[in-house]
Amino acid sequence: MANAFVAAFEILSFGAIIVLIVLGLGIIASMMGIFNFAQGEFVLLGAYITYLAYAKGMPIWAGMVAAPFVVGALGFVLEALIIRRFYAAPIVAMLGTYALGLIIRESVRGLIGGFYLTVPEPIGGSIDIGAMHISAWRFTIIVITLLVMGGCYLLLSRTSFGLRVRATLENPSLARASGISTPLIYGATFAFGAALAGLAGALIVPVFSLFADLGLRFLIQGFVAVMVGGVGSFIGPVAGAGVIGTLSAALPWVMAPVVADVLVFVLAIVFIKFRPQGLIAGKGV
Amino acid sequence: MLKSMGVAKQAVHADVGDEIDVSVAVGVPAERSAARKVLPIVEGVVLVAALLAPLVLQDYLTVFTTRVIILALFALSFDLVWGYAGIMSFGQALFFGSAGYGVALLARDLDITNIFLVLPAGTLIGLTFALLLGGFLLLGRHPSSVIFVSLGTLTGSYAADRLARGWYYLGGQNGIPSIAPMSLGGYEFSEGPAFYYLVLGILVVVYLLCRFLVRSQFGLALAGLRENEQRIAFFGYKAQHLKAIIFAIGGAIAGLAGSLYAFHEGFVWPNMVGVVVSTQVVLYVLFGGSGTLIGAVIGTVIVEGVSFWLSDNYRDIWPIILGLLLLLVILFRPLGLISFVLGERERVGSFGAKIKEKRNAP
Repeated sequence: MANAFVAAFEILSFGAIIVLIVLGLGIIASMMGIFNFAQGEFVLLGAYITYLAYAKGMPIWAGMVAAPFVVGALGFVLEALIIRRFYAAPIVAMLGTYALGLIIRESVRGLIGGFYLTVPEPIGGSIDIGAMHISAWRFTIIVITLLVMGGCYLLLSRTSFGLRVRATLENPSLARASGISTPLIYGATFAFGAALAGLAGALIVPVFSLFADLGLRFLIQGFVAVMVGGVGSFIGPVAGAGVIGTLSAALPWVMAPVVADVLVFVLAIVFIKFRPQGLIAGKGV
Repeated sequence: MLKSMGVAKQAVHADVGDEIDVSVAVGVPAERSAARKVLPIVEGVVLVAALLAPLVLQDYLTVFTTRVIILALFALSFDLVWGYAGIMSFGQALFFGSAGYGVALLARDLDITNIFLVLPAGTLIGLTFALLLGGFLLLGRHPSSVIFVSLGTLTGSYAADRLARGWYYLGGQNGIPSIAPMSLGGYEFSEGPAFYYLVLGILVVVYLLCRFLVRSQFGLALAGLRENEQRIAFFGYKAQHLKAIIFAIGGAIAGLAGSLYAFHEGFVWPNMVGVVVSTQVVLYVLFGGSGTLIGAVIGTVIVEGVSFWLSDNYRDIWPIILGLLLLLVILFRPLGLISFVLGERERVGSFGAKIKEKRNAP
C-alpha cells in the first residue's frame, strides 16, 4: 500500500513537471503554429537564473520569481527581432529556433562549464503521512502546476486579453480588421510561452540540478506531448502532457526502463499517425 | 523558402506535352546557358582539390579529411530528401547510425569485415530502416503534415539513441569500441590515403548517381513536390510514393556513409544514431545550400574545416558562433553559401534530355 502510494506520487509529480514544461510549448504551438525548438533552452535559462540568484547569495525563491519575467522579456525581444520572420514557414521556424536554442545553450554551457550544479530546494524536508514520506518540494511543484494551469485557463477563457489571443488564432485578418494589433498579440503570446518555460526551469532545477543539456531532455517529450494532445487549443497539449508524463513515469515500474523509454515514443507516434488531430480536436480554449 | 517560379513553370510545360522545348520554357537558350555555367566549374574545382588533398596534407589531416568526405556523403543523403523533395528529415542519423551499429556487430560477432559484404549490408540496413520509418510516416490514407514528418523522424532518432544507450548488447553508453578494419582479401583498410581514395571514389560515384537522378524526369517530379505538392498530385503523380522512394534512397546513402564511418573511426557510439548527428547534417546542408548537391559537400567541408581549425583556440565559443552563423544564413541566405556564386536559374537546372534538333526543325 505504502509502495503503491509512493509510486503514484512519483508518477503524479513527474507528470506535473512535464505539464509545466509543455504548457509554454503548447501555447506557442497552438496559438502561433510554431514548434519552438528553443523552448528547452528557455527552460535552461530559467534554471540558470535561479542558480545565479542562489550563487550570489540571494534567496532562492527570489531567483524563481525573477526567472519567468527575465525569460519572458527575452522571449518578447527575440520574437520582435527574429521569430516574427518565420510565421509563413513552419519548417524554417523550426530551423531558426533551433539555431537560437543552440546559441543560448552553448552560451550557458560556456558560463557554467561542463558541470552539474546543484541548487537546494527552497522548501526542504518531507511531508510525512503515517509511515510514508513524500518530498515537500515535489508536492509544491504539483500545487504550483495546478495553480499555473488554472491561471492560464482563466486568462485565455475569461479575460479580454485571452479573447484577443483566441481571435488572432482563429482568424488573423478579421482580428486585425477588428482593431486588434496582431503583431503585439503574437509578441505577447510568445513572451508568455517563454515565461512559462522559465518558470518551469526555475522550479525543476532543485530536482534535476543544472547542466547545459537540461532543456534538450524535455524538448522532444514536449513536442510529442503537444502532438498527442492536439495542436490548436489550450487544453489539448495539457492533456497530451498528462498522458505522456504519466506513461513515461509509470511504465518503468512494470517493465525494463529502456523498453519503457522507447515504447512511450513509439506508442505516441503511432497514435498521432492514426489520429492526427490529437486527443482533443478543435479550436478554442 | 525555396519558392521559384522556374520550377513550377517548367513542371507545367514538361507535363503539358513533348512539343515544347524544355530549355526554351525556362527562357534560357541552350547555347547561351552553356557558356556561363558555374556549377560544373565549382564541381570540378572541388573534385581536383579533393584529389590533390592527401598529397599536400599531413597524415593526421588526411585522416580528418577522410572523415569529412564520409560526412559529405551523409550530407548528400539529407540534401536529396530535404533539398530536392522537401521532406524535413530530422532523423537522418537514424539510418547513418543503425548501419554503423549493424556493420560493427557484423565485425564483432561474425568476424565479417570484407568490404564487398559490409558496405552492401550497411546500405541495406539504411534502406530497410528508411523504408520502414518512411513508409509509416509518409504513406497512408491521408497525406501526413510536414510537421508530423519532421517531428516523427526526430522522435525516431531520439528513441533509437535512448535504445542504444540502454541496451547492453549494443554496448550501452560506450558503444562498440575497436571494430576490426575493413578488409579486401588480405588487405586491410586502415586510416590513411588508401582509405581516403576509397571513400572519395564512393562519394564521386554516389554524387554522379544522385546528379543523374535529380536531373531526370523523376528529379523534376521531386522538385515539383518541394514547390507545390498539391499540384504534383493533380498531375497524377503518386506524391506520397515518390516521397517514400526518395526517403528510402536517402536512407540507403546514409547507411553507406554510416558503415564507412564506423570502420574509419573504429568505434560506434549512441550519438551516432541520435539527435546530435541528425542536427549536424542539417547544419551542413543549410550552410552549403540545400537543393544543390555540391552545396551539401561544400557545406560539410566548411563547417567541419572551420570547426577543426577553431576548436584548438576557441573551443568554447565555436558552437555559439556556429549558431549565430546558422541564424544569419537562415534569415538572409536561405539558399546557403553556394548562392553567392550560383544563380537561381542554374540551381533549378534543366531536366530531361536536351531536345536541340527540334528547334531547327521547321
